[in-house]
Amino acid sequence: MTGHQVRFVGAGKKYGAVRALDGVDLEVPAGTFLVLLGPSGSGKTTLVRALAGIERLDEGEIHIGDRVVSEPRRHVPPEQRDLAMVFQDYALWPHLTAAGNVGYALRRRKLTSDQAKVRCREALERVGLAGLAERYPHELSGGQQQRVALARAIVAEPGLLLFDEPLSNLDTDLRERLRVEISTLTRQSGASAVYITHDQAEAFALADVIGVLDQGRLVQLADPETLYHRPATPFVACFTGLSGELEGTVLEHEGDFALTQVGPWRLRARSATPLARGSAVRVMIRPAATGFADGDAGVGGAVDDHGVVEGTVVDVAYRGRGYDHVVACADGMLTSVFSVQPRTRGAQVKLALDAHGCNAFPLTGEAPISYDREVTAVTASSQTSVAVEHKQGVAE
Amino acid sequence: MASITTNPVAVRFRTATGWARRAPFALFWLLVAAILLLPILLFLLVAFSPRLFDQGPQWFSLSGFQQAFQGPMLQGIGDTLMIGTVTALASAAIGFAVAWVVHRVRVPGRRLWSGGMFALLFVPSYLIALGWERLLEPQGVLDLLHVPDSAARSLLYGPVGVIGVLTVKGIPFAYLAVSAGLRGLGEEFEAAVRVHGGGRSAVVRTVLALLAPALWSALAIVFAESISDFGVASTLANDAHFPVATFELYNAVDNFPVQFPVAAAVSWLLLAMAALALLAQHAALRGRSYRVLGGRTRPARRRDLSGPATAGVFIGMALLYLGALGVPTFGAVSASLINGLGTLMGGANFSFDNYRRALTSPELYQPLLYSGGLGAITATVTVLLGLVVARLLTSRRGRASARMLDLLLLAAVALPGIVFAAGYIFTYNLPLTNDLGIHLYETTSLLVLGYIATALPPASRVLFGSVGQVQESLREAARVHGSTEVVSWLKVMLPLLARPLLAAWSLTFGATVLELPISQLLYPPNDPTVSVGIESALSKYDYGGGTAMEVLAVLASLAVIGLVWGIFQLVAPAGWRRLGRTS
Repeated sequence: MTGHQVRFVGAGKKYGAVRALDGVDLEVPAGTFLVLLGPSGSGKTTLVRALAGIERLDEGEIHIGDRVVSEPRRHVPPEQRDLAMVFQDYALWPHLTAAGNVGYALRRRKLTSDQAKVRCREALERVGLAGLAERYPHELSGGQQQRVALARAIVAEPGLLLFDEPLSNLDTDLRERLRVEISTLTRQSGASAVYITHDQAEAFALADVIGVLDQGRLVQLADPETLYHRPATPFVACFTGLSGELEGTVLEHEGDFALTQVGPWRLRARSATPLARGSAVRVMIRPAATGFADGDAGVGGAVDDHGVVEGTVVDVAYRGRGYDHVVACADGMLTSVFSVQPRTRGAQVKLALDAHGCNAFPLTGEAPISYDREVTAVTASSQTSVAVEHKQGVAE
Repeated sequence: MASITTNPVAVRFRTATGWARRAPFALFWLLVAAILLLPILLFLLVAFSPRLFDQGPQWFSLSGFQQAFQGPMLQGIGDTLMIGTVTALASAAIGFAVAWVVHRVRVPGRRLWSGGMFALLFVPSYLIALGWERLLEPQGVLDLLHVPDSAARSLLYGPVGVIGVLTVKGIPFAYLAVSAGLRGLGEEFEAAVRVHGGGRSAVVRTVLALLAPALWSALAIVFAESISDFGVASTLANDAHFPVATFELYNAVDNFPVQFPVAAAVSWLLLAMAALALLAQHAALRGRSYRVLGGRTRPARRRDLSGPATAGVFIGMALLYLGALGVPTFGAVSASLINGLGTLMGGANFSFDNYRRALTSPELYQPLLYSGGLGAITATVTVLLGLVVARLLTSRRGRASARMLDLLLLAAVALPGIVFAAGYIFTYNLPLTNDLGIHLYETTSLLVLGYIATALPPASRVLFGSVGQVQESLREAARVHGSTEVVSWLKVMLPLLARPLLAAWSLTFGATVLELPISQLLYPPNDPTVSVGIESALSKYDYGGGTAMEVLAVLASLAVIGLVWGIFQLVAPAGWRRLGRTS
């Protein structure tokens, strides 16, 4: 089965005075696993429900494959869109057994009864529920219910699979196992997938492409690596995992990096937009970029790539493989500073910050940036000298 | 690789997708206006402007109100206010006690007591009143059995009897309201009082304070039900020459000369009384929070009573049901088995003659068949409309229209049935209505419309809870997995709502077959309904035939309802039957 290409053009939707979608333009090639990431109210659910045909757009178009399924005067009903969906609350019909629920999705395929039974059994086998086909939803655990919902989605082999935060009601262990199943089964089916979540770890683990939504707008669409290393806006940086942020001023900007003055320290941080000398910036620091500068720093890379800041340990949390620290710096707080050795609360420490995990943004405005060009990287230095290097753009 | 497209299309706003999609809703609102809004509004308007509807010479007048505050009318209004107040207090107290016994105490027959409340809810007030009357009337069953009953008779045929029967009828409403409150009240509130030094009386005071919303709700509901009752008003109260407002309203519309402005004025007063009860409830609860139900609420435990206390509670409950259901049932059944009851000629004897007559005489069995047919039609149409109403009320779209509909239905619940009936007679007998080509007066169609109008508010309330419980995603899942709108309703919503739909159908059917006020005013001249037939037989002193009809009507209604549920159990797929069942 080949998946469908999906395209939104100027998609807009209002609920009263609230603008849920604000001119979203997005294109996903066939067979791609797209994850839409965003906080509550960002519009991701509306976008997927509009794609499913459950909601009608007020503006714009939706294309699935070669067909226009939604435009101002045309709305193809959900049942004619050749898609399936896994709902957040599972949406299993309580009057039907697991087999009945899965078999329901096969009706549109006009199979014989025997063929349908075989397909149904195969789908349940694929999700590990072959022995529970005759159970009613309330006789299944939460994880089993979600597996039935997954089997129902894949059984008819639709060209597009939609997932509406399907793991949000499950415990951590089950989430991880089901995430793997969703990833595997979806890719085996060959269908395109659109998956929504507000969990950045889940998004990074599943996606070929991630679209980040904020207040009804698509603020960045990129592969997970690009999104993590080169967030387009402070919002994207913030939503995809931060240790903390510090404010400073730009001393130098060259290429992809800026040298900034943060309190008494100098930090290098990545910035794709040119930053004027003396302009105020916020330096947003990833957890992986932090480490103690006294021997067992959790960061890699050459020492030259690290800026050093000083602070006071205010909290220590044991995480099994080591310790996460919260360190108060001059005007900010850095969390998740990892070390295999614990530091005592109140201890004065030096932190090394990897420039590749630090992103500088102007303090005012959130101009989106594009990585579709060759960018010049300026490596941050804790010293006065500035090392300059040139890099190729990392995104296609 | 995915990309953000760089050329956004020009903003295009969605225009209306055409009238086709909205036509059913427009039709629905037209129907709601025709059966709920217009008849009542026009009728109430005539109290102020008789000339507007050719009911008098003045464009604006309060003469209807002046007449309502004179003579028997005034006494009827005063009696109604008194009855409503006393009944509300008595029913709330007894309803609270029954709810406490059923939910908080370990006493034999809990299921029976709880089921009995629903039976009491189902039985119309006039049947309870008639049962008592047959027992205690002169030459009644007790007289024939030579049981001295003159003291009890003088009590029954007066305010005490009227209040007693209406209290009995009000108990299930109070019970249901208080039960809902008690279920949500976890044991931690009682435990908190005890561990901080409070005794049992302190616990009771605390529980009563926390149940204030339920108690006020019980008082308001029973008050509204009592003042709007027509069944007791037209039977026991009328026989006892104890005037009440609803019967005076009926007299104003049914006797010559017809006094619509006076009837409308009395309707306004009845509405004002119901509104006052609701206002009192609102004022008592304003500014306080009674949020006791949460995810961490621990369910309360039932208390074990001592042996004598258990016996005392059991006897108390048995006596209550004896008075509420046992005596009227005995009265009706025994009266139906006695030939020549109520005559001064003597020679009364036990036989099945009355049933034989009821089953062979067209005058007695035709009303039963007629009411059965009307009940089935009304229940079916009401349930379908109720489903639409419940859907509109729970829908995420159209909040403004849903709020308006909700308000309209709430107002309709508070309206006495007799006001509805008077509004129907008035509106559909207007020259304007006839000029428009609507000739519904004195037809079965108008009677059915009247039944639907009074049955729709409670039926849609019953369905509202169930429809609201169904997650929207279940129907959406059906749509995205290949079903059309209609199929998704039939394959997903119908199975999920089958039991509530059947429950609403059964309630509406039973209530319609035995309905009195609408039937009394709107029945077509040659087609009396079963309640009118019973009243007619009783007014001709055919007590045996009338009570036989009563018994047959109740049994027939229960048989039809039983048959419908039986068919459901036999025919519905296993999954449909499992829903809503407790393990």
